[in-house]
Amino acid sequence: MIVEMKNVTCRFGDITAVDDVSLSIDRGDVVVIIGPSGSGKSTLLRCLNALEDIESGEINIDGHLIDRDHKDIHEIRLEVGMVFQQFNLFPHLSVMGNVNLAQTVVRKRSKDEATSVSQELLGKVGLTDKIDAFPNQLSGGQKQRVAIARALAMNPKVMLFDEATSALDPEMIGEVLEVIKQLAEDGMTMLLVTHEIGFAREVASRVVFLDDGRVVETGPPDQVFDNPQNQRTRDFLAKVL
Amino acid sequence: MDWFFGQVSTLSKIFYYLIQVVHWTILISVLAYLIAVILGLVFGIARISRNRVVKALAGAYINVLRGVPLLVLIFFVYFGLGKIINLDRFVAGVLAVGVCYGAYMAEIFRSGIQAIDYGQHEAAMSLGMTRWQTLRHIILPQSIRIVIPPGANEFIACLKDSSLVSIIGLRELTRAGREYANQHFLDFQTWLMVGLIYLIMTLTLTRIVKYIEKRYAVVGYGADKK
Repeated sequence: MIVEMKNVTCRFGDITAVDDVSLSIDRGDVVVIIGPSGSGKSTLLRCLNALEDIESGEINIDGHLIDRDHKDIHEIRLEVGMVFQQFNLFPHLSVMGNVNLAQTVVRKRSKDEATSVSQELLGKVGLTDKIDAFPNQLSGGQKQRVAIARALAMNPKVMLFDEATSALDPEMIGEVLEVIKQLAEDGMTMLLVTHEIGFAREVASRVVFLDDGRVVETGPPDQVFDNPQNQRTRDFLAKVL
Repeated sequence: MDWFFGQVSTLSKIFYYLIQVVHWTILISVLAYLIAVILGLVFGIARISRNRVVKALAGAYINVLRGVPLLVLIFFVYFGLGKIINLDRFVAGVLAVGVCYGAYMAEIFRSGIQAIDYGQHEAAMSLGMTRWQTLRHIILPQSIRIVIPPGANEFIACLKDSSLVSIIGLRELTRAGREYANQHFLDFQTWLMVGLIYLIMTLTLTRIVKYIEKRYAVVGYGADKK
């Protein structure tokens, strides 16, 4: 078990975004979180690398804890990589600079070492020819692939994808999904929030349906998509499929 | 015709007289502005600190200094503080202008930092960067580009306001102008030339700022649009 959430609750004022969620994820699992908008999918993901504070419960990521007494925020962020809907590349740095920065500043790698890691990862996401480009010279799909390489460069044990393809033009979605699929095949542990049901069916080892901040249903993709047990899951799938 | 050449000769004499002290105006402005940038950066960051005491102190500095006329501040530093710790006019003048402009620069730096999208902070945090690392490597390098145009305006304003230190006897451009006008009864011509020299300096600065903005623009990002 690499990720364990126990009774995690996260509130914004009066709104309970994540309500008493428990979830265990094994190494190599690809967990896809689906649910209507406002159901707390993104918040759940953001709790996992402490971008949101949890009010109660416990998060354990490979032995690092966030609960009432422990706040291993820095350690957890080192283990968990995140890819955002809006890419959030650093616009003042080149593609190489984006992937290098945290390696040198946080991981304390030498510049040469970082550069060789970056080169390898940028090759892996198919952007070797864009190393010297700046983010605003790239297409959405290219930006998101740089963002994936940037997160991978820190050698995370878990990757979070927060609607990584939602801000992309339709023709760019494929190239990003392809990279994510490759990661899944390489055995990366991942949590994805996505609206791409077809893709979820293809890569997910498990699907979690979230509604109103609660886990309503969870299981393998065939079961959740083809034979949902809960009425709310059925209603949701009827709308999106 | 004689009248015309007479005027030209008078004006060039005045110009020659004034240009000999213009380095004092430049020196006062540059030093005061350096102090202002350092204070501005420190208090601009302090203003958005999570520490309430630090934040309140920075707020107090900014609000007090912005609310007091610079002339009064110059009197206070030279005649007031100067009595206690013995400041010479140059130090007092530079200090007063610098501390005053520091308050304006602090607000410019604060707004420059806050103008950066919050997603940048989140991306940096998700990569394990601390608040300081984020500020130094992600936020400030982007803020600088936002801060350059209003920051340069402050330097131009600072250069003009350096004329106020003439009141405590610092012999810079304005002071020298007053001396010349009083000695030669040539108020019209003298103040015309004083104004012209300030104008030459400020217009030159405007060009330099434009160049810097272009030079440090990043392709497709911010200030590179012509």
